[in-house]
Amino acid sequence: MVNDKSNIIQPKLKKQNPAHSWLWFLLPTLFLVALFYVLPVIITFYISGTDMSTATGFKHWNWVGLKNYISIIKHPETPQHLWLTIKYVVVTLTFFNVGMALVVSLLTTHIPKKAGFFFRALWLLPRITPVVVYVMMWQFLAADSPYGVLNQIFFKPLGFKTEYWLLVKPFLFIVLVNGYIGASFGMILFTSAIESISKDMMNASLVDGSTLLQRIRYIILPSLRWPLLFVTTYQTLSLMTSFKEILVLTDGEFGTEVWSLWAYHKALNNYWGNFQWGFGMALSAFMVIIGLILGVIYMRFFKFNELVQEPKIEIL
Amino acid sequence: MKRLLVLVAGFLMLCSFMVFAGGQDEEKSSGPREVKITLWARANEVEHMRADAAYDAVKLLNEELKNEGSNVTVVVEANYENPSWGDYKKKFTLAADAGEGPDIVLSGHEDIPVWANAEYIVPIADSVKDVKKLSPEFDDVIESLWTPCQWHGTVWAVPQDTEARPLFFSKTKLKELGWSDAQISDLPNKIKDGEFTLDDMIATAQKAIKAGVVEKGYGYWHRPRKGGDYLQYYFSYGGYLYDPAEDKLVVVKDALEKWYAFQRKCVTTGITPEKYIGTEWRVWHDTVSHNKALFWNGGIWQWADWAANYVKDEGGDKVLYKNVGYALQPTGIKGKNGGTLSHPLVYMMTSKSASGRAKADDEYVVRLLEKIATKEINTKHALSSTHLGILKSQINYEPYKSNKFLSDVTYMLDYNYYQPNHTMYGIYFDSVWNGMVAAETGEKTPKDAADQAVKQMKLELGDVLIVK
Repeated sequence: MVNDKSNIIQPKLKKQNPAHSWLWFLLPTLFLVALFYVLPVIITFYISGTDMSTATGFKHWNWVGLKNYISIIKHPETPQHLWLTIKYVVVTLTFFNVGMALVVSLLTTHIPKKAGFFFRALWLLPRITPVVVYVMMWQFLAADSPYGVLNQIFFKPLGFKTEYWLLVKPFLFIVLVNGYIGASFGMILFTSAIESISKDMMNASLVDGSTLLQRIRYIILPSLRWPLLFVTTYQTLSLMTSFKEILVLTDGEFGTEVWSLWAYHKALNNYWGNFQWGFGMALSAFMVIIGLILGVIYMRFFKFNELVQEPKIEIL
Repeated sequence: MKRLLVLVAGFLMLCSFMVFAGGQDEEKSSGPREVKITLWARANEVEHMRADAAYDAVKLLNEELKNEGSNVTVVVEANYENPSWGDYKKKFTLAADAGEGPDIVLSGHEDIPVWANAEYIVPIADSVKDVKKLSPEFDDVIESLWTPCQWHGTVWAVPQDTEARPLFFSKTKLKELGWSDAQISDLPNKIKDGEFTLDDMIATAQKAIKAGVVEKGYGYWHRPRKGGDYLQYYFSYGGYLYDPAEDKLVVVKDALEKWYAFQRKCVTTGITPEKYIGTEWRVWHDTVSHNKALFWNGGIWQWADWAANYVKDEGGDKVLYKNVGYALQPTGIKGKNGGTLSHPLVYMMTSKSASGRAKADDEYVVRLLEKIATKEINTKHALSSTHLGILKSQINYEPYKSNKFLSDVTYMLDYNYYQPNHTMYGIYFDSVWNGMVAAETGEKTPKDAADQAVKQMKLELGDVLIVK
């Protein structure tokens, strides 16, 4: 029985590998993860249990237990920041980080190779441009009348009303600004996955008379399950926690303060300067918890264990 | 032998410890000594004297030290930059906590309780009486300006400048609307005496739009971005921020709701654009300085900016005098005086832990601040940036006195109020600001927005808040 691997495979593998050798391979990564992820998370949770702020400094703070978390639950702004964050993550992920990435990779793998490479390189530009420069370009595009590329080149000459488009359509702009950066990540992974699909399988489908859409539906998409899981999971968490583009674009004004930016403003930036480190850290910790829960849900939904099981070819 | 070596090493360590433990606080020798004083300020180009005043002042101080026969020479390193207030304060806070802050930091007076509590700054004197005894320069400071420099009775700072936030109006547009010269010139008095209210302003702006004097949405432009100016409407409807007897922050719910209703009314009557909060500053300055709006709320320091950067080619402040008038902020309650919010910037002396400066050198920091507070130096700043002076002697100092704009607006200080020095004030302000934005944009009714703001304040401020 090929599927009954418990008795056949495990002893073989153990014989081939010295005991705990895997640990040595993982050690550098474990060290980095502990230093740059686990330790900051511990510090975050630690500070989130205090009333630390500019007013207390790092010397005169007190333990407040779960008070900051209770404040988050009771805070009248919590629903609006939470809803905006969900909306922002879902829309950006659906239309750009996964959706547009998939469309671009499908299109560029079905045109001549050089042209495909050229268009993919264009989509990488937002990612390789420094954030401040990139966001400033959007600001010039959407700037208030009489300035702004949109106003000067399109709306004014065509006789339409000129506006400060960033203020009029703030949500659209935060999605576009992040989406154009995010799409390139999935595009690269999906493209390489599509190009690694066996040519025989593709040719066989052509011989069988499949249309392009049928080929995408029955051959390409099933082969993209693993990159889809990875891009969806990674980009969800990334969108939830990254805020620098929104910070530079609107600074959270016009109803664009997503959760992580709220945490940043509470902890490190407010108009009159009394930074609430404890409360800000609780907001961040809340985000860590949500991220972990979502990570587990994604793993279950996409049946992560099945995707990473050992290749059957080696069993034989 | 080994034991001897250990003993010698131990002895040497003890000696070196004793030498270094002697501390930086003591005078190291009687030879010439240089004391370096660093200063950070937030300023734009026309406000450069907030930092550069220290270079003028150190010359006076060194002269004085020389005459006293002191072996100390003071050297100044003063820097200014113009980031957002949030970024500026963040930079200082983190630097101070790391012990790498400057010796003097310039900021708004509301930072005093926060930074004093965190031990980033140290007091200048125990009381106003004591600070005035320190030097004739401090004795010359306008009495009321010591109020925002205090926290719990102790003086923690020295004023650098102050200002008023007037209601500006277009004289030429009012004339087009049919107002006589006498009516226009009498408007500041009527506002001062509470005869021309915020409702009258809305009605006038509506008439101007109807008559085609200004375009729709250009009847009244308040400040476009976050700032203390908005609190003036709250004060106009009888609100106040602080109860000094209880040392607690106060929110007057009725005044808060009326303030929010006023903001919304500006939009619904069409005198302010529908999507307005967040308008870019350059667009705002360009619009108001080029006489496109009928009324607007600004600060006196913007006058210098408009003259130098927006209407320079059309004649600078001459064209401003021709077109623009200024008055106190109108009241919301008929018969109540107009008012204005002043927000003095102050110099604060940082602590040893925040700056690494020896305690013994505090004396030179205070003496440098004394020299900065001279009428010649402060007037340079007042004139170049159109801020009000801080000294009694400036009022009759010819270069200051002969500046028409400053002379015209000085009376506003008789009707001013300040924000409170309270550690939790920043949180209070964020709550009322968020509510105001929700009300003006129509996201919430003024009542709902006020309810949410109060709810948020109760949650975040707890028992340091009094709800009236």
